[in-house]
Amino acid sequence: MTLLALKGVSFNYGSQLPTVLQEVNLSIGSGQCHCVSGTTGSGKSSLLNLLAGVLNRPHEGEIWRNPKLVTGLVMQDPQIQLIRQTVGAEVAFALENLSIPTEQMLAKVQLALRRVGLYLRLDTPVSTLSLGQKYRLMIAAQLVCEPHLLLLDEPWAQLDDHSVSELLIVLRNLIQGGMALVLVEHNASAFADIIQHYWQLEAGKLSAGTYTVKDTPPVETPVRRSQFNHLGRVLVSAGAFDFGFDGSPVLFACPQGFQLRAGEIVTLVGDNGTGKTSLLKTIAGVLSLRQRLPFKVLGRRPKLGIYGAELGLLMQRPSRQLFETSVLAEMQFSLKRFGLPKERAAQMLDELQLADLAELSPHKLSYGQQHLIALASLACLCPKVLLLDDPLAGMDQYYHGKVWHLLQRLSSQGTAILLASHRHIEHRVVSRQLSLRNGLLVEDPMEMEARYVG
Amino acid sequence: MWVSCRRSHRRTRGHWSRERRETAICSLSLLFVCVLSACAFVLPAYLLLSLAGLNGLLVIHGLLRRGCIFGVLKLGLVQLSITLSLYLILYGVAHLAQGAIVVARIILATIPGWWLCITVPPERIGEVLSAFLPTKWAFVVAASLSLLPYMADEIREIYHIQCLRGARITPRALRNPRNWAELVYCVLFPVLIQLLKLSRQMAIAAQSRHFGLNQRPTHWHSPRDNND
Amino acid sequence: MTKKLPLSLQDSLFVGFCATLLVALTGMLRLKLGISGHSMFLMSFFYLICYGALGRFGSMTACGAIAGLVAMALGVGKGGPMILLKFVLPAIAMDLIALLLPLSMALHWRCVILGLAGCIAWAGKVALTNMLAGMELDVVLIQWGMSVLKGGFFATLGALLVPPVLTRLKAQDLLHRDKF
Repeated sequence: MTLLALKGVSFNYGSQLPTVLQEVNLSIGSGQCHCVSGTTGSGKSSLLNLLAGVLNRPHEGEIWRNPKLVTGLVMQDPQIQLIRQTVGAEVAFALENLSIPTEQMLAKVQLALRRVGLYLRLDTPVSTLSLGQKYRLMIAAQLVCEPHLLLLDEPWAQLDDHSVSELLIVLRNLIQGGMALVLVEHNASAFADIIQHYWQLEAGKLSAGTYTVKDTPPVETPVRRSQFNHLGRVLVSAGAFDFGFDGSPVLFACPQGFQLRAGEIVTLVGDNGTGKTSLLKTIAGVLSLRQRLPFKVLGRRPKLGIYGAELGLLMQRPSRQLFETSVLAEMQFSLKRFGLPKERAAQMLDELQLADLAELSPHKLSYGQQHLIALASLACLCPKVLLLDDPLAGMDQYYHGKVWHLLQRLSSQGTAILLASHRHIEHRVVSRQLSLRNGLLVEDPMEMEARYVG
Repeated sequence: MWVSCRRSHRRTRGHWSRERRETAICSLSLLFVCVLSACAFVLPAYLLLSLAGLNGLLVIHGLLRRGCIFGVLKLGLVQLSITLSLYLILYGVAHLAQGAIVVARIILATIPGWWLCITVPPERIGEVLSAFLPTKWAFVVAASLSLLPYMADEIREIYHIQCLRGARITPRALRNPRNWAELVYCVLFPVLIQLLKLSRQMAIAAQSRHFGLNQRPTHWHSPRDNND
Repeated sequence: MTKKLPLSLQDSLFVGFCATLLVALTGMLRLKLGISGHSMFLMSFFYLICYGALGRFGSMTACGAIAGLVAMALGVGKGGPMILLKFVLPAIAMDLIALLLPLSMALHWRCVILGLAGCIAWAGKVALTNMLAGMELDVVLIQWGMSVLKGGFFATLGALLVPPVLTRLKAQDLLHRDKF
C-alpha cells in the first residue's frame, strides 16, 4: 500500500534563497525502508521535514498522502526534542496533544516503551538516560501515536556502535510489523541489513543510489616516516589518576597515565558518556575540578586561557563559535588577538581550496564547511597542542579528507594532536590509540611499523 | 492476577491524587501569598503588628527549610536607609516613624513571596501558573524552564570556546568597559543564534508530535509504579 | 511595528527562551554585581531583540510576561507575585510606545526611546509600590527620579547594543524579515 508520494516537488526557504529540493519524485509504501544520503547541507533534513508535513513554507509539485497516514519524525539531536522531565511524561506528550483520555495513556505509553526495548520506570528522569536510550525514547514518543511511517534523521552520527546495534533490532522489528521507514544517513552501510531502497540527494535532485565523493580529493601531504621512530618532546603528561566530577563517583581510572608528544596524532576512543569530552576540557583548563589531577600541559598545570595560541580546543558543534560577518574575518579573529600575521588566514583558505568562501557569512556555509572553517581557524595559530572533540561527527567523506590533510600538516610541524571519538578511527596518520572502556583509560597496542610521527 | 490488578489500579489512583493534592496546595499557597502581600498595603497601621507576627511564622518556616533571607534583609536595609534619609531631610525627625512604617509595609509585602519560593517546588509553581495560560504559552514556559540547564551549558561552553580563541572576555579583561562589546559579539550574539535555531528545531519537534492540533489537550499523570 | 498576527510556535519559543535567559542572567548578575538598576540593561536588550527579530506587536509584552512567570517559578529576586510586575510593566510600556514610533525613524533612536520608556515604567512600578505603602508623594517622586537615572543609564546601554546585533543577524540570513 502506498503511504506517501512526491511528484515533481521543489522547495526553498525563501524566494531570495537557493532552491533546496528540485523536482523530487519519491514513493513510499508499507514495510519499506528507504535511505537518503548526500553531502551535508544537500537538503536531506528538509526532505524529511517535508515528508513529515512540518514545514510551514509552500512548495511546488504534488505531495500525495494516504488519508490515514500518521508520520513520526525523530530529529538528529535528542536534546532539543526532550520536552518533559520523566520517561512516561515524554512519551505521553503526543497523546496529550491528541486529547487521548488520561486513563487510556498508561497502556499506550508502556507498549511504546516495550517496542523500543526500554524497560524503565515511568518516572525515570530523562536526564539519567544514555544518548542511545534517549534516541530510543524519542522513537517511543513517536510510536505511541502508532505511525505508519517513521522518519529518522542521521541516527548513526550521534550513537556509538552498541547503541546502533540496539537501534537496528528495534527498526527491524518495526519494518517486519509493516511500518515504513525513511532514514537520512551519511553512513548507509551501518543500516545495510534493513535498507531496501537507496537514494542520493545532490544539488537538490533525488536519484537512486548511494552518495559517493566525486570531487578530486584534496592535496595529500606525503607521509614522512622516521626511520628511527624519533619522537618529539612531551607536551602533555599525566601521571596515574582517577577522574570524577566533584561530589560524584569516579568516572574512569588511568592507572598508567599517558603522554602526548610533539608531532603525534593520538585518538581517544570511548562510548558516549565515558568522559572523553570532560578529559579534553580538563587538559585545556576549561573544566576545573576540586581534586588536583597530575596533568602538565606545556609544562604547566592546566588553567583556562594561560596557553594563548599554543593550545587549541575544538569542541563539539564548533559552528557555535562563529560570529563574524565573513569567513576571513572569523579566521583572522584569533590571529589578531594573539598578535599573529593575519595573512595566515587567507593562506589557509587557499591551501584548503576554500578561497571562494572568504567573503561569505559563516552562517551561510554548509555544516561540513563550518566545521572545517572552525578547525582551520585553530590551525592558523599553529598550536603546539590541539585537542579535538569528535571533529568528524556528521561530516561526509569529502570533508573528512580535508580534515585529515590539515591534521597531517599540523602534525608534521610538531603539533601534538589528541582526537576524541566515539568510534574507532583507522587512518595511517594515527600514531596511537587510547581507549576508554569499562572505566579504564588505557593505551591500545599498535604495531610498531604502523606508528606515524610527523 | 485479578486481585493484583485491582490493587495496582487502587495504588495508581492513590498516587494520581497525591500529585493533584500537591498542585492544589501550591495553588492555595499562591492565593495565600497574594492576599497576604495585598494586606501589607491595605491594612491599617494598628493591624500591621499582627501581620508581622504572621510573617514572622513564615520566616521561621522558611529558615527551617534552609531558605536564605539575606536578600530580603538587604532590601529592607537599603530601603530603610534611603527612605528615612529622605524623610529626615524633607520632614524632620517627627516623621521618621511614618517612614519606618512605609518600609515595614514593603517588607511585609515581600516576605510571603520569599516564603513561597522556598516551600513550593518551582515545577509546581510553573504548573499552576501555566494552567492560566493558553496551551501554546504553557508549553513555552515548560519548555523554557526545562531547557534552562541546557542553555546555561551552551553559554558556558561558548564563553570557554571564545576565551580559548583569545577573546578579551576573561573576568580581568572585562574590568575594561571597552571589552564589554566583545562579550556581546563573541558570546551573546552566538547564544542568540543558538536560541533562534533551537526555537525552530523545537517547534518542528513539537509539531511532529501533534502539538497545537487540539485546543484542549489532556494531561498525563505519572503513576509511581512499584512493580517495575 | 506593523504586524498584528499571533506569534507562531517558533517565534513564541524564541520569546520564551529569551525571557528565560533574561531571568537567569538577571539572577546571576545580581549575585555578582549587586548594582541596582542593572536589570534594566538585560531587560532593555532582550525585549528589544524580540522587537527587532520578530517584528510583531506584543512580542515584548509576551517576553516580559514569560520572564515574570519564570522569575516567580525560579524564585529570582525576592520572589512572589510582585516580580511579575517588575518584568511585565516595562515590556507593556515598550510595546505601547513602539506603536507610536514611525518605522522610518532610525533603529538606534527607536531602541533608545523604547529602552527609556521601559525604564520609566520600571521605576513607575517601584513608585506605585511606595505609594501603596503610604509614602509621601515627594519622597516617592525623588525615589522614582533616582530609579530613572540609574535604570536609564543601563537601559540606554542595553538599547544601543541591539541594532548592531540585529544587523548581524539579518546579514547572516538568520532573520527572514524585510524591515525592522
